[in-house]
Amino acid sequence: MGYLEEVAKYQKTEKQKSFSADFLEGQQIEDYEFWDEIEIGKETVVPFKFEVKAEDMMAYAEGVPDDNPVFYDEEYARKCGYDGLVAHPLFISQVLFFLLQKGHGSWIRTPGARNPGQIFEWHDPIRVGDIITLKTQGYDKWIKRGKYYLRYLSELYDQYGKLKVRGYVTLILPKSKVDVLRLFKGERALEA
Amino acid sequence: MSKKLNFESVNCDDVLPEVKQHISQDVIWKHAVASLDYNPVHVDPEWCKTAQVFGLPVPVMHGNQTMSLMVKVVTNWAYPVGGRLKGMEIKLIKPVPVDSTCTYGAVVTEKHPIGKGENFVVLDLWAVNQDGEKVAIGTAEVTLP
Repeated sequence: MGYLEEVAKYQKTEKQKSFSADFLEGQQIEDYEFWDEIEIGKETVVPFKFEVKAEDMMAYAEGVPDDNPVFYDEEYARKCGYDGLVAHPLFISQVLFFLLQKGHGSWIRTPGARNPGQIFEWHDPIRVGDIITLKTQGYDKWIKRGKYYLRYLSELYDQYGKLKVRGYVTLILPKSKVDVLRLFKGERALEA
Repeated sequence: MSKKLNFESVNCDDVLPEVKQHISQDVIWKHAVASLDYNPVHVDPEWCKTAQVFGLPVPVMHGNQTMSLMVKVVTNWAYPVGGRLKGMEIKLIKPVPVDSTCTYGAVVTEKHPIGKGENFVVLDLWAVNQDGEKVAIGTAEVTLP
C-alpha cells in the first residue's frame, strides 16, 4: 500500500478530505516559489480563509498526539478557566498549510524543505468560529554552511482584524527550480 | 507537584514532568494528516530511499511535531489551571528518523511578576532521542493565573 492510501485512513475532517496529500503532483511545481526568486520585503495577504471548526482543532491535537481534555472537551476547558474549547498552540501548522496550498508562500510545501526551528508569538486565542486570514512578508534569506534559509513574517488575523498569532516561519529550501525538479523526480538531494 | 499550580507557587528550577513518544511511521502519518504537511520527506518511504534529504534513506518526523511534543510538556502542566503559551523559540538540531523514541522536558528559568493576568514564566525546553542526544532546544513564555 502506498503512503497516499495509508494517510487516507486517518483523514476525517472536511478539510483533511478535500486537501491534496500529494506534494509531488506534477502540476504543483508551476505554483511553487523558489528560494532564488523570492523577494524580501514583499507583503501579501493570502487570498484564502480558514474557518475554524471544532473538528479541525481536535484533529490537530489528536495528531500530535496530545490527549489533554482542554483540546477536546469544551465543558472541561471552561472549568479550567477558558472561554471555550482550546486550540493546541501548534494548530497553526494546519492553518498555515491550508492557507498556503498554492501561489505566494507555497514554498512552505517544497519537497526537500527542512525545518531549522521556528519562532511564534500567540497574541489572542484561536476559537471555534474564527475566520482566519494570513498576511505574509518576506523577512530575510541567507546562506549558511551551503544551505539556503528563508524566513517569512507570517501573521494570522481573525475576521475582526485582531492579530492572533505572529510567526517568523523559517525553512531551509532547495535553491532553485532545477533543484526542486531533482527532488520531484526522487533524485538524491544536493545537500545532506 | 501536589500543590495547586499558579504563578505564586512556581519557582525557578522547577522541573516539569517529561513526555515520551515513540515515533513510528503511523505517528508521522497521523501528524501529516493533522497538520496538512505531506512533504514526502515525512510521509513517503520510497521517495526517501533515494532523495535522502537529511542524508538518511528513511522518513523523518516533522519539525513541527517535535515542537508540538515539546509544547505538550507545557500544556500538560499549565493548561489544566488556565495557563497560556504566549511565545516560543525552538531550534531543531538533529533530524528524528522514523522509529526513534524521544523524551521531552522543561524547567522554569525565569519568573516575570508583571501584574494580574500578565504574570508569566520562562521555560527552557528540550527534546532528546533514545541515545540521549539533543534533537531540539528552545524557550517558552507561559502566562499563569
